[in-house]
Amino acid sequence: MKRVKKWAAAITVFITGFIFLIPFYIMFYLSLSSPGDSIAEEWFPRALMVQNFREAWEKASMGRAMVNSLVITVGAVLLLVFCAACGGYGAARVKNKINRMIFYIMVLSMMVPGIINTVPLYIMMRRINGINTYWGMIMLLACQSLPFSVFLYESFIRTMNSSLEEAAIMDGCTRFEAFWRIVFPLLKPITATVVIMQGVGIWNNYAQSVFFLQNQNYHTIPLAISTFFRPMELIIICLPPGRQLVLRLLQWFF
Amino acid sequence: MMAPAAVLFLVFFVLPLCQGVGISMTDWNGFSEEKNFVGFANFIRFFSDKRALHAIQVTVVFGLVSPFLLNVSGLFLALLVDSKRKSRVLLRMIIYLPSIISPLIMGYLWTLILSPRTGVLDQILQRFNPSLSFDWMGVPDKALWLIIMVNVWQFTGGPMMVYLAGLQSIPKDLYESAKIDGAGRMQAFKNITWPLLYPSAKINIFNNIIGSMAVFDIIMAITMGGPGYATESLSIYIYRQSFNGFAGYATAIALIMFLIIAVPIGITMRWMKNKEIEM
Repeated sequence: MKRVKKWAAAITVFITGFIFLIPFYIMFYLSLSSPGDSIAEEWFPRALMVQNFREAWEKASMGRAMVNSLVITVGAVLLLVFCAACGGYGAARVKNKINRMIFYIMVLSMMVPGIINTVPLYIMMRRINGINTYWGMIMLLACQSLPFSVFLYESFIRTMNSSLEEAAIMDGCTRFEAFWRIVFPLLKPITATVVIMQGVGIWNNYAQSVFFLQNQNYHTIPLAISTFFRPMELIIICLPPGRQLVLRLLQWFF
Repeated sequence: MMAPAAVLFLVFFVLPLCQGVGISMTDWNGFSEEKNFVGFANFIRFFSDKRALHAIQVTVVFGLVSPFLLNVSGLFLALLVDSKRKSRVLLRMIIYLPSIISPLIMGYLWTLILSPRTGVLDQILQRFNPSLSFDWMGVPDKALWLIIMVNVWQFTGGPMMVYLAGLQSIPKDLYESAKIDGAGRMQAFKNITWPLLYPSAKINIFNNIIGSMAVFDIIMAITMGGPGYATESLSIYIYRQSFNGFAGYATAIALIMFLIIAVPIGITMRWMKNKEIEM
């Protein structure tokens, strides 16, 4: 009986792993296959077409897109961490009415999906010349991830002991210095969570960038791939699917 | 200290939202100077717009079915990988892997697998039996279910991780005392594990409903709202309307969409509130 159970568990684990990995294998296969290959006939590409990668990279100007994505993601994450950590600290430690109100409005706003604001935001961005710019996109994406991050920081700081900062303030630090020099380094675990979680979201963002980065020169990776993929039927007929898939593989690696 | 966060939030969230309420009552096309106040005409128009009502249906079906499936599979997988054995830890990472990749990319990958004739799945099926074919993407009733399945496959790692964290915070001695009292495994799950997972379930249901109701990328990648507009969600409809010169109308739809999301969220909040258990 025990043995049967053990085997059943092992098989379940194996099948689950298989279900989650097989699409990645298909991606790997298609990205390296030549036009005539079919996964139905051979389980491994006959010739490894590494040049697919180079071609796709050039066709979709991935170099440019990579730089754009990097600039926007790094910028937005830095801004986000600074604002959210300060905000979370303010909400947790400086308990006046205004801070509480701002905090509750932010928590409530987590229920509002980003797309709702898009049209008025677009109009505002056009007025302040923020469309097709790095800074516009950075501020926008940082703001979008702000409420959740502030919430995380706030709940973490609230559980921390405040005696360290109080001692620092006693010794003549300002509140901000006490926060920046003493509390912020202690927040590393939360900062890591925010950077990873929100960073991935910002890197992958499509719903906002499709509105605010229409200029090809500012296309991020998701946008570059989607414009490459859009005339879908045509490309699928004209090119082996491998070349499009390479792009996806690229994004997965970086 | 709140100032930087507050300013950013005010400029990029609160102001546009307020402005949006104003725009939703105009017939503005988004480009011209001309802007006329039309009162609630946009909202009235919405309820006689067949395409919009269909988009609501798509959004609600997707927004309720997919969180449900995400939670069921997330909980199941969490129970499966809740062990220190290496194979289970590895499986955790494998399951979480698709979640960190853009839904757009995963959507494109799945189109290459699922599309009729050229798709990988279809090719394999035809190898076994030429009369078999898999064309769910082109069938209006089925396309949405396909998207739901892809979505669950991709994002089930998130809920799994949250449930896993919940599972690991349950003290082990509770199970021991239940065993001594003669409870079976099912009873232990029903009376200990499940009630203590409520906080995790709450976070998951919240996140998943909000995320699924606003679904955009994955539909764009797999069907672009098609065939026809069978899988067009409200987000996609808003996107199309705002680019087609109906900025006022699009904003009105966005506000209605918020109300549609608020209802299931409110219900779950109510339902969950009474079930919170103190440790």
